[in-house]
Amino acid sequence: MAESVMTAHAAGEESPFGIQSKKLAIWLFIAADSATFGAILFAYGFLRVGAADWSRPFAFLPSILNGIVMTVVLLTSSLTMLAAVAAAQRGDTAKTVRWMGITALLGATFAALHLREWFNMFHEGWSPSKNPLGGSAQFGATFFGITGLHLLHVTCGVLAILVIALLVRRGKLTAGHVETTGLYWHFVDLVWMFVFPLVYLMNAR
Amino acid sequence: MTTTPQPRHGPTMQVYVMVWIGLVCIVGAEVLLAYAHLRTGVLLACLLALALVEAGVGLLFFMHLKYERARLAWWLIPVLLFVFLLMDHLWPDAFRLAAMRGP
Repeated sequence: MAESVMTAHAAGEESPFGIQSKKLAIWLFIAADSATFGAILFAYGFLRVGAADWSRPFAFLPSILNGIVMTVVLLTSSLTMLAAVAAAQRGDTAKTVRWMGITALLGATFAALHLREWFNMFHEGWSPSKNPLGGSAQFGATFFGITGLHLLHVTCGVLAILVIALLVRRGKLTAGHVETTGLYWHFVDLVWMFVFPLVYLMNAR
Repeated sequence: MTTTPQPRHGPTMQVYVMVWIGLVCIVGAEVLLAYAHLRTGVLLACLLALALVEAGVGLLFFMHLKYERARLAWWLIPVLLFVFLLMDHLWPDAFRLAAMRGP
C-alpha cells in the first residue's frame, strides 16, 4: 500500500479505486476469468437444453457426497486464506506462512478428491467423447471441460500460494501480495459455488 | 516480508467464520433441493439463486468488496452483468433445437 500511495503522490494524484495496482490487476483478471467461466457454463446449458438424451449419472454415493466434501474443503481453504491475510497484515510472518501452507494443503486435498472422482468415471467408461450410459456424448465433453478448467485453476492456485508463502518467509514479499493471492483463491472458490450445483446437483439421480 | 503491521480494513475472523457457516448451510440447502423432486426449471432457478447469494456474500466479505471504495464494485459488476446478458441471447436457439426434436 505504502509504495503505491508514494507513487500516486509522486504522480500528483490518488489511485481512483484507492487500492494497489497489483490488486486492481487481479480484479481485472477475475473479471475476465468470470466471463470465461460464464461462457463455458452457458455453453453447457445450451448443450444440455438442446440434447435429446442428457445423462444424469451422479448417485448420492459416492459422487454427490464426494462433491459436498470437496465444496466444504474449498470453502474452508478460503477461511484459512483469510487467516493468512489477517496474519500478514499484523506482520506475523510465521502465522502467515503456516495458514498459507494449510490453504495449499486443503487445495491439494480438493484436487485429489476431484481426480479420484475423475478416475472412478474413467473406470466406468466415461471420457470426454464417450458416454457408457448410452446418452449424449456431450455430457463427458462438458463435464470434463468445465471441471478440468476449474481443476487447472485450483492447481495453479496451490502452486501460487506455495511460491508466495516461500517468498514471504524469505522476506521478499509484503502483505499486499498475500491479499492479492487470496483474492484469486476466493475467486476459484466462488466459481465452484456455480459448478457444483449446475454440473453435479442438476445431474443427480 | 515487512515486519511493519499494515492497517487492517475489513471484518474480523469471527465474521468470516459466521459467513463460512452461512455458506456451508446454503450448500446443504442446495443438496436438499436437488433431492426434493422439483421440476428441472424450478430446481435450476433455485440453485442459481442460491449460487448467486453465495457469490455475492463471498465477494462482499471474503473478497472485501464491501470494504473497498464503491467505485470498484460499480466498475466491475455492471460490466460483467452486461457480458452475461449478452450470453443470454443463445437460449432461444437452444430451445429451438429442443423443439426440433419433437415430442
